[in-house]
Amino acid sequence: MDNLMHLMDGFATVLSWYHITIMVIGVLLGVLVGVLPGLGAPNGVSLLLPLTFTMDPISAIILLSCMYWGALFGGSTTSILFNIPGEPSSVATTFDGYPMARDGQATRALTLAFISAGLGALAGVVMITLLSSWVAEFGLRFSSPEYFAVYFLAFASFIGMSSSAPSKTLVSLALGLVFATVGMDAVSGGLRLTFGIPDLVKGISFLVAVMGLFGIAELMVTTEEGLHFKGIKARIRPMDVLRTAAEMPRYAVALVRSILIGIWMGITPAGPTAASFMSHGIAKRFSKHPERFGKGEPSGIVSPEAADHSAGTSALLPMLALGVPGSATAAVMMGGLMIWGLTPGPMLFVERPDFVWGLIASMYLGNLVAVVLVLATVPLYASILRVPFAIIGPLIIAVIFTGVYQVANSTFDILLVLLFALLGYLFKKLDYPVAPLVLAMVLGDRAEEAFRQSMVFSDGSVAVFWSNPLVSTIMGLGVFMLAWPLVSKMIGLRAFRRRSAMKPEASQERPRQGAETPR
Amino acid sequence: MADKHVSRHSMEITTALLTGAIGVTVCIGAWQAGVGWEPSGPSSGYFPFYIGVLIVLASLVNLGRALIWKRHLDEVFLDGARARSVARFTLPLVGYAAVSVVLGLYVGTFLYMLFAMRLQGSYRWWVAASTGAAVSACFYLIFEIGFQVPLLKGPLEAWLGIY
Repeated sequence: MDNLMHLMDGFATVLSWYHITIMVIGVLLGVLVGVLPGLGAPNGVSLLLPLTFTMDPISAIILLSCMYWGALFGGSTTSILFNIPGEPSSVATTFDGYPMARDGQATRALTLAFISAGLGALAGVVMITLLSSWVAEFGLRFSSPEYFAVYFLAFASFIGMSSSAPSKTLVSLALGLVFATVGMDAVSGGLRLTFGIPDLVKGISFLVAVMGLFGIAELMVTTEEGLHFKGIKARIRPMDVLRTAAEMPRYAVALVRSILIGIWMGITPAGPTAASFMSHGIAKRFSKHPERFGKGEPSGIVSPEAADHSAGTSALLPMLALGVPGSATAAVMMGGLMIWGLTPGPMLFVERPDFVWGLIASMYLGNLVAVVLVLATVPLYASILRVPFAIIGPLIIAVIFTGVYQVANSTFDILLVLLFALLGYLFKKLDYPVAPLVLAMVLGDRAEEAFRQSMVFSDGSVAVFWSNPLVSTIMGLGVFMLAWPLVSKMIGLRAFRRRSAMKPEASQERPRQGAETPR
Repeated sequence: MADKHVSRHSMEITTALLTGAIGVTVCIGAWQAGVGWEPSGPSSGYFPFYIGVLIVLASLVNLGRALIWKRHLDEVFLDGARARSVARFTLPLVGYAAVSVVLGLYVGTFLYMLFAMRLQGSYRWWVAASTGAAVSACFYLIFEIGFQVPLLKGPLEAWLGIY
């Protein structure tokens, strides 16, 4: 009940014309970055962040989080209309969304996607409302070793759950940790890894990294394909929207299942992309008509969308309550919190309840605003994609460059972003995941601090990470996550052998399905 | 595959060597900062040093995947046509960064839009130039006046007296 009281206070803070206007702006900008190729949610939030330095934290987080919701919706729009996922997490929506739109049911596909996305997000926020104080209270019992264990668990789950090779994920993650340590050492005040370059003393900003890795690199990959959009004309007819809304109860099972998957994958840092793929895969496996998937099956749209958005929203729970973001965008927002002078984690609930509950209340409203706005503006945004890429591409680059400069008014960053772009391009082309790098960059300082403090407690013995049941459990979970690729391979191999022994003819198709679902 | 191309296999090796080199550099830098134990706890190079070691080890595994397990042997990383379109996109971008550092972001943006639109879309000079000028002007209105955040300025702005 305490939570509900807090939530009401939050609504009181948020329900003002100023904040509603910020929400609308945030959602509209978010849909824009979601629709534009190469500009995703992490990048959009990074671009906007320097402009919020002078705002008060509540308005700033409303702007950024609404941009995030908008971007998630925008990504689905291009998936359905253009077969081009605006966000990695909306790739799974193209499987059935585009075929349905191509069959002349664009409105139905979009409405299905937006409503299930909205419901997914709503479920995520309800979960946050109910659980956040509890998780934060739990987090208050943590001291340095437990904190390090939580970071370790986050890093380990990235390595264990990633669809890339574990060694590649590890390289990406460790690079992020190292980039975070460049410059002044917060504990001793000494300089490190600056190699005599004065511009490195202030450190490497994660914002610059995000804009290079996600923004420029993504565009470089996009240009390779030689962009010409083959879009479907979208005109939203209110009658079709209502008719589609009426058929939603039919997909209730798929919806609930996908939301649960999404919430779980969002809290653990597997993220929205993994959640949407997994949800689509499971929907297909449990369907009575698996052959209809890929040809415009409604539950093939409902499932990935609901999972995507519930994961995206749930990713904010560990960020707020423990200071461990569940997705790349949440990581960028958490970096923003620290820049505004707030410390994400359990103490935030004690020190700034107005901020925490203002944000949670804004999530209810923001998603509602997003569903309505996105339905109203789809035709407008779809027309943006008809502007030739020779204009849009350079324009996005120009916006990114101004954003990079605004991070610290540094010309060095303009050159640095090029190096990150090169790294990002290589990583994207060679299946190195980029999100772990960003997450590690944001968490790096805190992880190191927790590690060093634990070491001080224990006089340099790593046994401190196994010294009580709580920390041992978290570390144990982490080790299990690290070992997961091996475990799943062994289970998969055994099942494969058994199956091929029983049914030789089925062995060709079956293992491929098995390889798809864990994603 | 008669066309000239860069193979993915060679790029896997290059990237593994690159990340490995970063790892070694990090270890050296951390070593200089001190990797031992001080009265106040581990010294500042301690944590980065071991992360550097992790990078080197993981890069070796990636190298091994390419060299020993022969992953991605016959895949294409970039072929001629794609390399050209990436170059058309990337070269103006590098020029943009270089020019902006010297002449400021407004002039840089104008020149970049101009050349990028010419190169990628073969637009006419006046179309590209006016788009570039419009974008620069918009940036001025949005950032300098709207949000009151200054962008990098160069000699032209100083000459015109805009600060």
